[in-house]
Amino acid sequence: MSHLIHIELDRLEGSLLRILGLIERRGFHIDGIELFDLGETKRGLNVTVRVRDAGRTLETLNLQIDRLYGITRLDADPRGATAKPAKAKQEARA
Amino acid sequence: MSNQPSGAQLVISTLKALGVETVFGYPGGAIMPIYDALAGSGLQHILVRHEQGAAFAADAYARATGRTGVCMATSGPGATNLITGIANAYMDSVPMVCITGQVGTHLMGTDGFQEVDILGMTLGIVKHSWLVRNPAEIPAILAEAFAIAREGRPGPVLVDIPRDIAATRVATSDAATFPEWTPPAPDADALKAAEKLIGQAQKPLFYVGGGVEMAGAAQELRDLVARTGIPLVSTLKGLGTLPTTDELALGMLGMHGTRAANNAVQEADLLIVLGARFDDRATGKLNAFAPNAKVIHFDIDRAEIGKLRKADVGIVGDLKIGLPALNPKVGPIQKWVEKCKADKWEHRFRYNAPGQGIYAPGLLKTLSEKAGDKFMVACDVGQHQMWVAQHCEFPNNRAHLTSGGSGAMGYGLPAGLGAKLGRPEMHVVTVSGDGSFMMNIQEMATLNRYNIPLKIVLLDNSSLGLVRQWQQLFFEENYSEIDLSDNPDFVVVAKAFNLDAFRITHRHEVDAALDRLLAAERPTLLHVVIDPRENVWPLVPPGASNADMMEERWDEPLDSY
Repeated sequence: MSHLIHIELDRLEGSLLRILGLIERRGFHIDGIELFDLGETKRGLNVTVRVRDAGRTLETLNLQIDRLYGITRLDADPRGATAKPAKAKQEARA
Repeated sequence: MSNQPSGAQLVISTLKALGVETVFGYPGGAIMPIYDALAGSGLQHILVRHEQGAAFAADAYARATGRTGVCMATSGPGATNLITGIANAYMDSVPMVCITGQVGTHLMGTDGFQEVDILGMTLGIVKHSWLVRNPAEIPAILAEAFAIAREGRPGPVLVDIPRDIAATRVATSDAATFPEWTPPAPDADALKAAEKLIGQAQKPLFYVGGGVEMAGAAQELRDLVARTGIPLVSTLKGLGTLPTTDELALGMLGMHGTRAANNAVQEADLLIVLGARFDDRATGKLNAFAPNAKVIHFDIDRAEIGKLRKADVGIVGDLKIGLPALNPKVGPIQKWVEKCKADKWEHRFRYNAPGQGIYAPGLLKTLSEKAGDKFMVACDVGQHQMWVAQHCEFPNNRAHLTSGGSGAMGYGLPAGLGAKLGRPEMHVVTVSGDGSFMMNIQEMATLNRYNIPLKIVLLDNSSLGLVRQWQQLFFEENYSEIDLSDNPDFVVVAKAFNLDAFRITHRHEVDAALDRLLAAERPTLLHVVIDPRENVWPLVPPGASNADMMEERWDEPLDSY
């Protein structure tokens, strides 16, 4: 079963590789990538992923992506019901 | 124009402004502007003899002091030599800032001399990284780098600075600050739910990892254990967070854990997991781990909650804030506690090994007892590392520096020098093996250069002992590439580096040798010749449940398991 992850990210050095590398390393196939422009400092990324390794969950993968710096929004499977805004990190700074 | 600082000068002045005192590094072509600015700056630079040593020393400096470690290297091979150290810090969540020189921007992407894509190569082992393209941004980037290295779950970050960016003068100041991170308080409802589970449990058990110490919450943990009376098992990194001598400390769990710890985990009906991550060396076969237990998992990193084991209650937040807020009404657990204590006594380690040769576990136990409150060990990787974890007493936290998640041979010597520079008042002892020691043996030159009075215990079994043990037990004694009997004379080598060095081979020499080592005021190596056939016991075979421990006891026939 495949899932669509929608990510919005700052245009930072290596940010795309960082996300895509993490997804593969953490046990998922990448079946599709769509990149779109969100202005000078941001871009959007839709990644279609499929579990490769036993015992890996989409929930944990989402948290691991969200843990990266420069991610401003992450919606897990927006086709489903549980679109949730990501990012507590920047807001946690006073 | 010439009054404006260069990018390199901004690096140095920003490091100083951020409170950095010590940097470990090694110069080279692309980072020369930064070393030019370093000279005479007042920043202490420790010149190691291999960049891997710089990364390990910075890592241990951070672990020992609670501050952020800093290391520097040039582009290409300098940067790639840092990588093992960066991975080590990443696996063990150690705050570290790595600064690398890069070839000039006009050469980047052209296969320039000493060019590697170090940012790309390290993406998977850093919390974050930057390639500086504008020198005016250096203060802001460094301030952010230090903030990210420390906040939340700590870890290494990398700042790659091209040579021309470092050399360019620019109108800016080093007064960059970064918004301070506020540790998130754990959710009150989750804490309540945890208290409820603890109150219902008949066999509760703390499972403590390195995260408690990293959160600066060792005292808060000790208080929590004291007010609940719940026994505790520890990961490799968690040893000493509660003094190992505490009667409720059952020891390390997992592959080379104590039988008392593993028994307790298998029997517990509630695991209270604090700053730990269910590493496979701790859990053994995951689906047989703590089969009767509900789980409370408390960690600063929410990506760890439920990653490997479902948590009945997940608590995300700062342990230093959260542990004092945990005030459960503990049920009648006295029988359970007595059973755990009885198990600890029943399965205590024995030191009456047969023969007159030196029994390394006994030597290490004595060493820690003699060093007492000032004991700090920087360990290498192998059998000796497990013996240290099993047999040394750690009355303090931040005193057991060991390459846990990455298991990097060669950590011990550079880690020892980094730790001793950070905590000069401690008896810092590097415990190493003959395999590990050779991996960063060049750092004895660093000890000599700065006269760092590190104490080295080199346990020499003329082989790769842990590999040999596995070949003996799990590969039908097919010994493959583990013989190191052609090692150099380590005493001669150490003396050639201007260290004091001496050797012992018999058990009756141990006491006096340890006294001499602990009294030494110069860097000193104690070479200990041990029996190559000695194994680490007990042992959970790879892939087995922690309930299935192999053990060797001299008072039982060897074939009893």
